[in-house]
Amino acid sequence: MAPVGPRSGDAIFANMERVNAELFTLTYGATVRQLLTDLEEVDEVNKQLDQMGYNIGIRLVDEFLAKSNVSRCVDFKETAEVIAKVGFKMFLGVTASVTNWDADGTCCSIVLEDNPLVDFVELPDTCQGLYYCNILSGVIRGALEMVSNTSSFAQPSIPSFLWDVSLKTEVTWIRDVLRGDDAYELQVKLVKQVPEEYPYKDDE
Amino acid sequence: MNRKEITKPFQVEIESKQKQKIEVKMGREVSESCVDSLLTEMVSTYCNRFYANKPELAARRIEAIGYQVGHQLSERYTMERPRFSDHLEAIKFICKDFWSELFKKQIDNLKTNHRGTFVLQDNGFRWLSRISLDPSLENAESQDPSASTESKAAQATSMHLYFPCGIIRGALSNLGIPCAVSADISNLPACSFVVRIKA
Amino acid sequence: MQFFGSAEISPSPPVPTTSGNNAHMMYVFNRNGVCLLYREWNRPLRTLNAQQDHKLMFGLLFSLKSLTAKMDPTSAERGNLGVPQLPGQGCSFHSFRTNTYKLSFMESPSGLKLILITHPRTGDLRQSLKYIYNLYVEYVVKNPLYTPGAPIRCELFNTSLDQYVRSIA
Repeated sequence: MAPVGPRSGDAIFANMERVNAELFTLTYGATVRQLLTDLEEVDEVNKQLDQMGYNIGIRLVDEFLAKSNVSRCVDFKETAEVIAKVGFKMFLGVTASVTNWDADGTCCSIVLEDNPLVDFVELPDTCQGLYYCNILSGVIRGALEMVSNTSSFAQPSIPSFLWDVSLKTEVTWIRDVLRGDDAYELQVKLVKQVPEEYPYKDDE
Repeated sequence: MNRKEITKPFQVEIESKQKQKIEVKMGREVSESCVDSLLTEMVSTYCNRFYANKPELAARRIEAIGYQVGHQLSERYTMERPRFSDHLEAIKFICKDFWSELFKKQIDNLKTNHRGTFVLQDNGFRWLSRISLDPSLENAESQDPSASTESKAAQATSMHLYFPCGIIRGALSNLGIPCAVSADISNLPACSFVVRIKA
Repeated sequence: MQFFGSAEISPSPPVPTTSGNNAHMMYVFNRNGVCLLYREWNRPLRTLNAQQDHKLMFGLLFSLKSLTAKMDPTSAERGNLGVPQLPGQGCSFHSFRTNTYKLSFMESPSGLKLILITHPRTGDLRQSLKYIYNLYVEYVVKNPLYTPGAPIRCELFNTSLDQYVRSIA
C-alpha cells in the first residue's frame, strides 16, 4: 500500500454532505438564547455550552478520523495541527491556524479569523461575560481527549494493567471578536495524560 | 437576568454595518454533521440533562428554539418577495423554497382539508434518516406486552421532532399565520407535519 | 503523522475480493475495552459464554500487539513484553491466519477496535475494515438515539454491515 499524506481539509470538505450555514448559525444562536433564558446565569451558560461541545467532540472525532485518513497522531503537537487544519476545514469550512507553542510543546493557540458561528451575531450588553462560541472549546477538548497520544508522551514504564492513555486538555479563550478583539483565539493546554485501566480482572 | 431584555439578543442586524458582510456570507456552507451533531446534543441536553423527568418541559424548550430559527429563516428567505395572497400560497412556499433551502429537496406531498389543516409529508426526512431503533425491540414487542423500552425509543424519537415542528410554526408565524404544528412518524423515515391554522 | 491508505472511503466501498458467505463473526471494542458489538454469521462451535468470549478476544489482541511490537526488528523504541502498546505506538499487526480462519484487525486513533473473522482464504481486508469504520460513523455515531460508549443496537448499522460483509467475504 502506497503511503499517503492526510487528505487535505479542502478535499474532504468538498466531499462532505453540506448544508446552508444560516441554518447552523441561527440554530446555534437560538440555542444560546434559550440557554440564557433557562439558566439565567451567564457563567452557567458558558459551562453548558462547553459541556455540549465536549459531547459533540467525542462523537465528531470518529468522523474526522474516518474521513481524513489519519491513522495515528504521533504527538500532541501534530494532533493539534491536524485538528486545526483538517478538522475545522472539514466541518466548518474555515481554516484555523496553530501558533504560540510553548517550549515543551504542551501549550498552543488555535486562531480562527473567520467563524461561521457568529455570522449575524451582535451581543447585547446584557450578555457581559458570555463566551458565545464556548461550544468550540468543548469540541476541541472532547476531540483531543478521544485521540490517543503516543510515544512522545509515553512514560518509560507504564504499569502493565494500563491499556490506554488519553489527552486531557484545558481550553481557554484568549481573544474573541465579539468582545472587540481582531480574531478568535483559543489556548489549548495539555494538562495530563489519563491512563485508563485494563477493563478485565485477571481472575475473572 | 430580566427576561424581557433578552427577547432579541441574536436578531439579524440587516441594517447595520454588517449588511455587507452578510451578503458575502450568503451561500456559505458547513458540513451537515455540524447541524446534525448540534441538534442531537441540544435535544439531549434538554431531555436528558435539564428536564430528564419532565419531557413536556423539554419539548416546549426545544420547540421554542425551532420557532426562533424558523422565524428568522423565513424572514431572510422572504425579504425580496411580495406578500403571500393566502394561506395556501404561504404553505406552498414552505413546501418548496423553504424546505429546499434547508434540506435540498421539497416536501413530497401536500394535503389539505380546505378548513385550515395541511399535511406536509416528507418521504425521507433528513433529520430522521439516521435514527435507528434497537432491533431486539421488534421481537420483544410481540412477546413482552409491556413493551416499555419501545415506547421509550418512540418518545426519544419524537423529541427530535419538536425542533422541525417549531421551525415550521416559526416560519408561518413570521408570515402572519398563527398555527399549531405536530408530527407523525408512523412509518420512518417518512414524516408528516400537520399544520393547523388558528382561525 | 501516519495515515491510512489512499483509497477514497465513502461512499464507494472497496471492490470485493471474494463473494460468498465466508464471514464468521465481528467484534467492536471501544478504547475502554468495552465490547460495543458482537455480530455472528457463521460460528458452529462456541465453548464460552459471551462475556468470557469477549474477554478472550480482547486479551488476544492485547498480547499480540505487545508481542509483535517487541519483535519489531526495525525500531529501537519498543516496550517491555507485557507492557501494553498505546494505540498508534510502534508497529501493529493487521491480520493473522490459521489453517481454519483469518482474523483482520483495525484500530482507530480514537481507540476503536474492529475485528473481523473470516475464512482463511480471504484476501486483504484493511480497506474493508476502514469502510466498516465509516459505516460505524454514519449509522452509529450519527444516530441521534445512540449514546457514546453504549452497546450498539442500531438496526440500520446491522443491516448495512450484514450486507457489506456478505459482499466481501
